[in-house]
Amino acid sequence: MLMPSTGPRTRTVRVRRQLPTSPWLFAAPGLLVIGAFILYPFMSTLVNAFTDRRTLIPGEFVGLANFRELLHDDMFWTGLRNSALYVLGVVPALVILPLLLALLVQKNIPGITFFRSAFYTPVVASIVVVGLIWVWLLDERGLVNALLETIGVGRVGFLSDQWLLLMSAMAVTVWKGLGYYMIIYLAALANVPRELHEAAAVDGAGAVRRFFTVTVPAVRSTMALVGALSSVAAFKVFSEVYLMAGPSGGPAGEDTTLVILVQRTGTGLTGRVGYASAISVVVFVVTVALMLLVLRADRRSEV
Amino acid sequence: MPVSRRALVAAAVCLVLPLSACGSGGDDGGSTDASGKVEGDITFQTWNLRANFKPYFEGLIADFEKKYPGTQVKWVDQPAEGYADKISADAAGGTLPDVVNVSPDLVAPLAKAGLALDLDKAAGQYKKEYLEGAWASHRIPGMTGTYAFPWYLNTGPLFYNKSLFKKAGLDPDQPPRTYDELFADALRIARNSDGEVSTLANVPTVEDFGRYGVELMNPAGTAFAFNDTKGVQLLTKYKELYDAKALDPQALTATPESSGKKFLTEAVAMNPGSALDLGNFKKQAPSLYKNIGITDQITSTGHVNMYVMGVMVNAQSKRKPAAVAFAHYVTDAAHQMSFAKQVAIFPSTAGSLDDPYFTKEDGTDETRVRVAAAKSLKNAVNYTPVLFSEQMKTALRNEVAKALQGKESPKEALDNAVKACDTLLRQQG
Repeated sequence: MLMPSTGPRTRTVRVRRQLPTSPWLFAAPGLLVIGAFILYPFMSTLVNAFTDRRTLIPGEFVGLANFRELLHDDMFWTGLRNSALYVLGVVPALVILPLLLALLVQKNIPGITFFRSAFYTPVVASIVVVGLIWVWLLDERGLVNALLETIGVGRVGFLSDQWLLLMSAMAVTVWKGLGYYMIIYLAALANVPRELHEAAAVDGAGAVRRFFTVTVPAVRSTMALVGALSSVAAFKVFSEVYLMAGPSGGPAGEDTTLVILVQRTGTGLTGRVGYASAISVVVFVVTVALMLLVLRADRRSEV
Repeated sequence: MPVSRRALVAAAVCLVLPLSACGSGGDDGGSTDASGKVEGDITFQTWNLRANFKPYFEGLIADFEKKYPGTQVKWVDQPAEGYADKISADAAGGTLPDVVNVSPDLVAPLAKAGLALDLDKAAGQYKKEYLEGAWASHRIPGMTGTYAFPWYLNTGPLFYNKSLFKKAGLDPDQPPRTYDELFADALRIARNSDGEVSTLANVPTVEDFGRYGVELMNPAGTAFAFNDTKGVQLLTKYKELYDAKALDPQALTATPESSGKKFLTEAVAMNPGSALDLGNFKKQAPSLYKNIGITDQITSTGHVNMYVMGVMVNAQSKRKPAAVAFAHYVTDAAHQMSFAKQVAIFPSTAGSLDDPYFTKEDGTDETRVRVAAAKSLKNAVNYTPVLFSEQMKTALRNEVAKALQGKESPKEALDNAVKACDTLLRQQG
């Protein structure tokens, strides 16, 4: 009885002796990068949020003054509203449309590779190039307006109306993100046992019924992942709105999002780093809250 | 695909955290003493000049190193886009080059942070070599001293589309010169084209207010004042233009690039530019080039706006004698003149504008633009307040947009803009 236990115990001791150094050495390069480029700037942002620091002038501790100022800053509320609207507009589309697209291109029919690649192309295209192309298309004298004029609708101010501008930017985000999330769904769909579909079909379930009773439950976790990732990305939106609405954030700044506000407030030689940091902290808190909300909703639906 | 909550929170942290802050600026202003032997290695930073003028600057640096043995100049060039951000990152990180190409609005915060050398003290002997107004352009309200050598000056011409003027029944050889003439012509072009052709593609900037005759700041430079009667009058006229589509409907979100494109596609009738644009029109829009008209900037004060470039010396440079000597070498009369022959810019050195190169036409468009610009530069004014930051430009732009959309009256909009700019001015310290 005693003999067999001696061997493993000796091995365990040897393993324990190696533990403190080896794993840390393996993790060191990654940890260094995370420490230098993520944790340090994060801590620095947190500290700055409680100071009146400017780009070239070290600040002094001001307590919650920056956060109190936020409450009375109209542009902050505009930014918060637009970022929240972006989440509401973009996330449902990015959870549902890529799933439908993945179901379409999942089929092995001739020429489907072309469509898979075509749907993925916007993902690899530079956002600046994509943004400029859409600006040209949606311009007052662009292709889209020319088509609308031809069919008698007349010109639409996609880039001059505050709400149309925001919706146009959302459309670009959805268009650019479809391929990325489609790939995630394709991976998840590959794991759905074919037998389940066959059994459901034998039981008389049609395509729509099979979608809701077989496909959706099977990819529910992936939908939560896509929801979480796309809501974080949507809340932090910058490039699409910046490129389409211009540096001032649309007419009278009405399309400003929180991250555009951070950029506008905190950069340049006269940037208010402390105040911009306070806005960044709000962005961080809201994003984490969004993430937890989506995951909690997913966990509840599992129960 | 099961995903752990911790992993997702970690992902969120990674995605959100890079909204980072900058490093600290130095408190040490450094000494203003630049006497001593000109020697050592210095770094010289220019603003988007390498692509077109590499041989010129390499020659200039080689000549300087030959004149001052023991010196070595490392030349770095930064792209136009994000130049202010690059300087602020360098300044905050303590890596600002010894000699830096700046404009007055960039030098102001650097001087306040003690990073720009006071040249009245360190290089006062060179002051008389420059035009008085140009030397003064790098003075900061509320501070004593001058913080950069004046380099080249420019005053962009205003281009207009003669064909669009003709179609509207206007004399294509009589472009508007004052704001009142501009407003009348713009409304007529919009009316005659049924709102299809706008005359302007940009909302009024602080320089427009200056050229209209509005007092931009109080004499002490401690508060903005462009919400006076004249300012309100200008904005009211622009509102009229916007409603009549004489101001492009997309003007509220326009950038210089987008308005340039609208002029190229003949969607707008007038656009400011530089002599470099002529080549661009010739290549990209030959039909426009055939009908191009060139005139002075619109002004109701008799003075056009002057853009000033400067060369500052880092007050914390360890090689101040060499840095000051090089900054002066780049901006002295001989080198400004030879640079002006490379590109359509104008020297800020005394007497240079009287050179036949700037006074005699040879019948080409290029010399016509050059001679006209040099002539108007002699009494030009730098209307951009030195303390007018990017954040202030945005504040003004947003309030102007509200007035044009009818969300606020011109008076309310300008009062709000002045209030916002004054707050930002106080926050600058």
